[in-house]
Amino acid sequence: MIVRLGRASQGVLAGLVLLYLLFPVFVVIAISFSSATYLRFPPPGLSLRWYAKLTASDEWIQAFLLTLQVGALTTIFTTLLGVPAAFGLVRLDLRAKALLNGLLLMALVTPAVIRALGSYLFFVRLDLVNSVFGLACAHTVSALPYLVINVVASLKGFDLMLERAAVVHAASPFTAVRRITLPIIAPGILVGAIFAFLSSAQELLVSIYLMGTVRKPLAVKMWEGVRVAVDPTIAAASTGLIVMAALAFATASVLHRRARRAALAAG
Amino acid sequence: MGSGRRSRAALEHARVKRAGALPWLLLGPIAVWNAVFFIVPLAVMIGHSVNDHGLSLARYRDLFTTPLYLSVMQTTFEISLLVTLGCLLLGYPVAYRLATAGPRARTLMLALVLLPYWLDYIVRSYSWMVLLGRMGLVNRTLIDLGLIGAPLAILYTRWSVAIGMIQILLPLMVLTLYAAMLRIDTSLLQAAAAHGASPSASFWRVFFPLSLPGVYGACLLTFVTSLGFYITPALLGGRKDTMISQLIVTVSTDMLDWSLASAVSVLLLVVSLAIVVVYNRFFSIDRLWGGRA
Repeated sequence: MIVRLGRASQGVLAGLVLLYLLFPVFVVIAISFSSATYLRFPPPGLSLRWYAKLTASDEWIQAFLLTLQVGALTTIFTTLLGVPAAFGLVRLDLRAKALLNGLLLMALVTPAVIRALGSYLFFVRLDLVNSVFGLACAHTVSALPYLVINVVASLKGFDLMLERAAVVHAASPFTAVRRITLPIIAPGILVGAIFAFLSSAQELLVSIYLMGTVRKPLAVKMWEGVRVAVDPTIAAASTGLIVMAALAFATASVLHRRARRAALAAG
Repeated sequence: MGSGRRSRAALEHARVKRAGALPWLLLGPIAVWNAVFFIVPLAVMIGHSVNDHGLSLARYRDLFTTPLYLSVMQTTFEISLLVTLGCLLLGYPVAYRLATAGPRARTLMLALVLLPYWLDYIVRSYSWMVLLGRMGLVNRTLIDLGLIGAPLAILYTRWSVAIGMIQILLPLMVLTLYAAMLRIDTSLLQAAAAHGASPSASFWRVFFPLSLPGVYGACLLTFVTSLGFYITPALLGGRKDTMISQLIVTVSTDMLDWSLASAVSVLLLVVSLAIVVVYNRFFSIDRLWGGRA
């Protein structure tokens, strides 16, 4: 009885904490459909006017396109650098691994403002400020740990015997990796790539320092909007991001589950 | 026979050579990239911090003798400590629940915990601005319930900063604690129960002490992440709640004092890295890498 009561109160507590985690998300979605020009929750009435305003605005569309460009470049760089690195971290027995692990953890915990200031001071000398390419290079540093974490996890779950079997059947090790290993860990790579894209889309300070105020990615545009916070346009833009993140998350978990099932079937 | 030996030696040599090239091919590009776009910028920044018309530590002296800067550092530590404790108190029960739940409930809870983790910090802080304002939902509810007569000043105080930051960092705390709890051998709990320990006794005398290393690790990670927060304190905090990242932004973009901004950044970097080194000493980074499947 006491155990059951304890379990119940734990459940209530966990539920309240989850409510605290998720409530702000609902609030933003609700406000985006508000009919009022001021910020109020719950909204006094419903309308789609903020979405209309958003899609009619050239500035918001430009911001969205810039975020897509930088995010796509970042994702490509991150994948090309991170996937081989994950293979190295899982399969090689080297002292240099500790060094690389340290570098990745460092990139993960170094405050954004430090990366922003450092890259700005360096990029000014290279004339890389105000460049989509330069911004993607800087975003790649903080996106890499997320991709490596995911690909390392997939590789650890991968059955090496499958690859050895291919080599025994006269495939070169490179062909075995390309034809057997990569397709099996592809969902892990995709999840990592999604995380890398989202990480780039959310970089505020690095974008502010490296892009100036000339071209604004979505994060910078939203930041400026929140600081003057007069109407719910930001809420509509945020809801768009929430939908993108939720879709990405759903895709990721479906792929994860499918990969796990495939791995179980293979095992 | 002689030629056979030679060819075998050649073969061995080729294999060693290939094994020697492979690590460079796999790890070389990422290492070069991080060196160029991460380490070199940090080095340039350190260079700026000691450059005041020649090599000088004047900016560091300013840093430790100006009351304003000292109070910002103190505020940063206080807020980070408050946030870490808040995350631990709220996160531990959730992580425990996750670790002891069945597979279906576990998947659902993990998804719910992870969902807000990928929403923009700006969006979440914005949401709290709406909820915690003078006539926001929280104040109106409290007034309607008759708990308070006049609206409380929550927004633009340390409390709103803590509420916003805890909401953002809680998933990190929960996931790190959960990963640590999964490594606890549950047969020890069954052994305690078999020897007549009550559920609460077996929790407090067996499970809780075993979870403590995970608690320390999760707290270090949460604390070090809090130190560098910018968006949440800038949107939800008052003037007295200025954190060190805000100071760096103001000094660099408003005052255009790049060398002072660099000195403050170097200080923040050193403190953050020191904490990470402690973390890595006691909890291998590999755990973090393998901890999220």
